[in-house]
Amino acid sequence: MRDMLLVRDVLDKQLVDRRGERAGKVDGVVLIFSPDGPPRVGYLEVGAVTLARRLGRRLGSWASRLAHRWGGAHTESYRIPWNLVRAITLEVSVDVDVEETRINVIEDWLRVHVVEHLPGGRE
Amino acid sequence: MTPHEVHLELLLGRKVHDVEGRAVGRLEDVAVERVDLACEVLEFHVGPHALLERLSLRAVRLFRGRSHGVRRIPWDRLDLSDPRRPRLTCRIEDLPEHPA
Amino acid sequence: MSRLIEIALGIVTGIGGFLEAGSLATAAQAGAGFRFELIWAVILGATCLAFLVEMCGRLSAISKHTVPDALRERFGFRFFMVPLVVMQLVMLMVLATELGGVALALQMISGVSYRWWSVPVGLLSWALLWKGTFGLIEKGVSVLGLVTLAFVVGALHLHPPFGEVARGALPRLPAHDGAQYWFLAVSILGASISPYLFFFYSAGAVEDRWDVSHLAINRITAGAGMGFGGIVAVGALVLAGMVFHPAGIKVDSYQQLPLLLTSALGHWGFVLFVASLGIACFGAAQEIAVTSAYLMAQGFGWRWSENLPPAEDARFSLSYTAMTAVACLPVLAGVDVLKLTNISMVVSAASLPVVVLPLLVIMNDRRYLRDYCNGWVANTAVTAIVLLAGVLAVVSFPLLIAGGG
Repeated sequence: MRDMLLVRDVLDKQLVDRRGERAGKVDGVVLIFSPDGPPRVGYLEVGAVTLARRLGRRLGSWASRLAHRWGGAHTESYRIPWNLVRAITLEVSVDVDVEETRINVIEDWLRVHVVEHLPGGRE
Repeated sequence: MTPHEVHLELLLGRKVHDVEGRAVGRLEDVAVERVDLACEVLEFHVGPHALLERLSLRAVRLFRGRSHGVRRIPWDRLDLSDPRRPRLTCRIEDLPEHPA
Repeated sequence: MSRLIEIALGIVTGIGGFLEAGSLATAAQAGAGFRFELIWAVILGATCLAFLVEMCGRLSAISKHTVPDALRERFGFRFFMVPLVVMQLVMLMVLATELGGVALALQMISGVSYRWWSVPVGLLSWALLWKGTFGLIEKGVSVLGLVTLAFVVGALHLHPPFGEVARGALPRLPAHDGAQYWFLAVSILGASISPYLFFFYSAGAVEDRWDVSHLAINRITAGAGMGFGGIVAVGALVLAGMVFHPAGIKVDSYQQLPLLLTSALGHWGFVLFVASLGIACFGAAQEIAVTSAYLMAQGFGWRWSENLPPAEDARFSLSYTAMTAVACLPVLAGVDVLKLTNISMVVSAASLPVVVLPLLVIMNDRRYLRDYCNGWVANTAVTAIVLLAGVLAVVSFPLLIAGGG
């Protein structure tokens, strides 16, 4: 298999779901360390909380508390298991339907509570 | 021992020290190999100037050669039990040599 | 045949879309203060813009990714926060000046204060983004922007001394008022080389589904579009040089500017001026608002497209909504639009390095550009621009204080 580097080729890259829709950027990569064998890539993470944590621990905890107060588990970062990754080019294609995940939970909330109340918002 | 999780994005740029406390560099990248549907870590790449490496300025490359100063640390030589303080499990000198 | 039409449309868009509040105001002040001596700054600005726009178009056509996409993907999230925050602040200021420009145009024909016009103008701008498609924004308003050719017509009408005009195209040191001269030079460059233009152009290449076959169109649109667009700004500068300079008039308000065209074209000049100011600023306002949304959506990986209804890209749509709403506030509050224009042009110039330096790296990345990476000409150009941007960043604020007047 071709040499792959996680930061160069995976982190911060555009995620594309199985229908070709944009599903966020790879905001985090979770490595799993076990006593037997090399560490593996466990998950790709997408979410505002993951991003906030990259800017600073305090910002991360604040964002996490805010997210919990606002939406509970619903607004935690979404994890995509590595075995759903299909191809990695300039994008990371994953075998997931973004509509079935909570990646777009904020998008959906805004559509229902804001966009559709504005003139011409309902299509 | 339960498997423990480490966030790659939080490791990025962290200073790596060897077993004797000497600075090795900053963590820049992680080389992996896809094995069926899994993805295994092969090496950690540690370099002198994280920012410059990220930018990979061609000029820098020309001056110092392809992988100047970038140390490739096999996965079993890096201790990440404290992700904020990555440590080699050996001395810098004991790292296997890799041709540039 | 349709390629020819595309090229023509691209050039027309470049010309019609070039002039806006910043380039008009800086050109007028430059002509008033220094006659034709600063024409070289307009030419330099348009040339740099042409190179940068061509690169952004090429990047998007080959990689199908935009500049903001590449900024995040190539340099990581922490780095990306810098251009994100800086550009949003700059765009907010410039958007306020454009909305102010439209409001002032309406004040000139109606007599009603521009402050009252701020919200209706903002609403109209928002409505067109909300209901319109990318084609409407890109081509619609820019084609109407051809009315700004009135400045070229007007300038020719006054029979400017071509020898002197040509000499102005060569850079030279100021004979007097050094601080003000260089302040205006920096402002003109800031007005021409606006990062929001590259982001907009790059997003547009993806919206229009450009690919390898569009590289020639890209080059022509960038070169001819921006090049000829610069001529419109030169026209405004020459007019100011012939109308304001001999009379020793100092430009300190947009209200003085109709004189540029009325002197040359009589009563029709007034109508053409108001139309030019209103349409040019309105077009720029649309571009800036939507680009602010492109920057957010592309940096965070959201769904985005002007060709989608807002319900299908809520975060993207609400980004430009919020941006437009906030940008109306300074105008509503009665900000001095010309002063704000001057400040925002300088801030824009100072913010350039944050975008062009990463662009230099991206344009040499084979993963994005494959066989179409920058050649030595393009690399030399962008390196020179990076150095220029560095100089601008250092001198802008001191000059704003010393020469801003």
